[in-house]
Amino acid sequence: MSSADLRYPRQTLLADYGRAAVGVLLCGAPLLLLDVNRWLALILLLGFLLFAVFLARTALRHHTRYVLGPDTLCADGPAGTIVEWNRLDRLKLSYFSTKRDRSDGWMQLSVGSAGGRTVKLDSSLDGFHDVVERAARAAEQTGLPLSETTRANLKAMGISVAGQEEKV
Amino acid sequence: MLRFIVRRILLMIPTLFVISALVYFIIDLPPGDCVTAQVDELLSRGDPDALRRAEELRHLYGLNDPLWQRYLEWVAGIFRWDFGLSCQDTVPVADLIGERMALTLVMESCTIAFIWIVSFVIGVYAATHQYKLGDYVASFIGFIGLSIPNFLLALVLLYVGKVYFGLSIGGLMDPEYIDQPMSWGKVWSVIQHLVIPVIVIGMSGTAGMIRRLRANLLDELQKQYVVTGRAKGLPPLRLLIKYPLRHAINPFVADIGGLLPDVISGSVIVSVVLSLPTTGPMLLGALKTQDVNLAATFLLFVATLTVIGMLISDLALAALDPRIRFGATSEK
Repeated sequence: MSSADLRYPRQTLLADYGRAAVGVLLCGAPLLLLDVNRWLALILLLGFLLFAVFLARTALRHHTRYVLGPDTLCADGPAGTIVEWNRLDRLKLSYFSTKRDRSDGWMQLSVGSAGGRTVKLDSSLDGFHDVVERAARAAEQTGLPLSETTRANLKAMGISVAGQEEKV
Repeated sequence: MLRFIVRRILLMIPTLFVISALVYFIIDLPPGDCVTAQVDELLSRGDPDALRRAEELRHLYGLNDPLWQRYLEWVAGIFRWDFGLSCQDTVPVADLIGERMALTLVMESCTIAFIWIVSFVIGVYAATHQYKLGDYVASFIGFIGLSIPNFLLALVLLYVGKVYFGLSIGGLMDPEYIDQPMSWGKVWSVIQHLVIPVIVIGMSGTAGMIRRLRANLLDELQKQYVVTGRAKGLPPLRLLIKYPLRHAINPFVADIGGLLPDVISGSVIVSVVLSLPTTGPMLLGALKTQDVNLAATFLLFVATLTVIGMLISDLALAALDPRIRFGATSEK
């Protein structure tokens, strides 16, 4: 298996930059331009910090490329880290949606190997399915127990993991 | 999760702006304004200065300015905790709503805690004891709670309390504590007076929650993995807590957001009936007199609480069970 270079598409990054900018502006502008009550100022400040963190995370993703190899997943960027598949000790696949019927959502994969930082990837990443498939195979080989939620989400993506049947 | 929180909060902000604008414009829609009633009263008393006085009041409240300008001033004032003047007593809205808002928040929080605790215990009991006496009693309470309007229950309790027990149920504290600074005696008095309103307002919510939790838990308890667990000799309590209860509790969490507006809107009439010094009666009065600043401020608070409730329930649900649903599609 050869290595694959994966990045977040420009459209996704631009949308996230837009969201972060709107949030920073909506929370920051009243703080700068108006005489704000101190309790409301605290709430706005918290909002401002949240959107600022999101902006920083989007910038990090923008400058990170993910290299999916046969033995590792390498996040090559400012806060880079490496996940060794044969030492995988964390795998969580979550699904989020902002809609009431939970449609049009996105998946988030969290993976990490012993001693390393956790890598979090969203389903908007090019080649996300390949990464999830590789992570599931690694979990199968290392016998890593998966949560019921992760198993259900893997199944929804058409990926089954042997040895992870329901144990009562 | 960060992306989820950011997207949810970004949806919240325009939602609140749209609600505030709708509320402000709709309250102002009927002909006349909050000064009209006062002028009518002055004219009926034969006051020769009634029209001049009306013009002064209109100038004071800014009623001669265009509606959009008044709305923008009101919105800008919110950031300074200044919601404009109330027409009722010509005092700042912020001064009027202070204690009432605090008492309302205490009462609604107690009601929601009551609904959760009671419905959780009874719902689980009813589902695990299906078709037993306890289940029938719980179902009976559920149907009674769903079918009796809150204000009627309040009237019945007022009557029963007064006639048979000699109790004065109205109000949220003993008369000697009204307009007094906060003290332990006042807190204890509020706690004592909270019991009846909390039961009355929480009754229908509790009944609905019991029915939903019972139905969800029964669905789960009849699934094959539970039967297998039982066949393997797993202790009943452990079997119940490990999977079925966790699954059945999701709709319970999802209902948090919906519960808040239900409780608040349900408490308006009950507050009038039980003479509770909460925001309900004042909101009703403000709507009747077209006191736009006061009514819009109350409704904005209700909307904010609702939106925050929805956010909390969505975050709790996302943290508890971030699982794709059958039929839901995932975006790239």
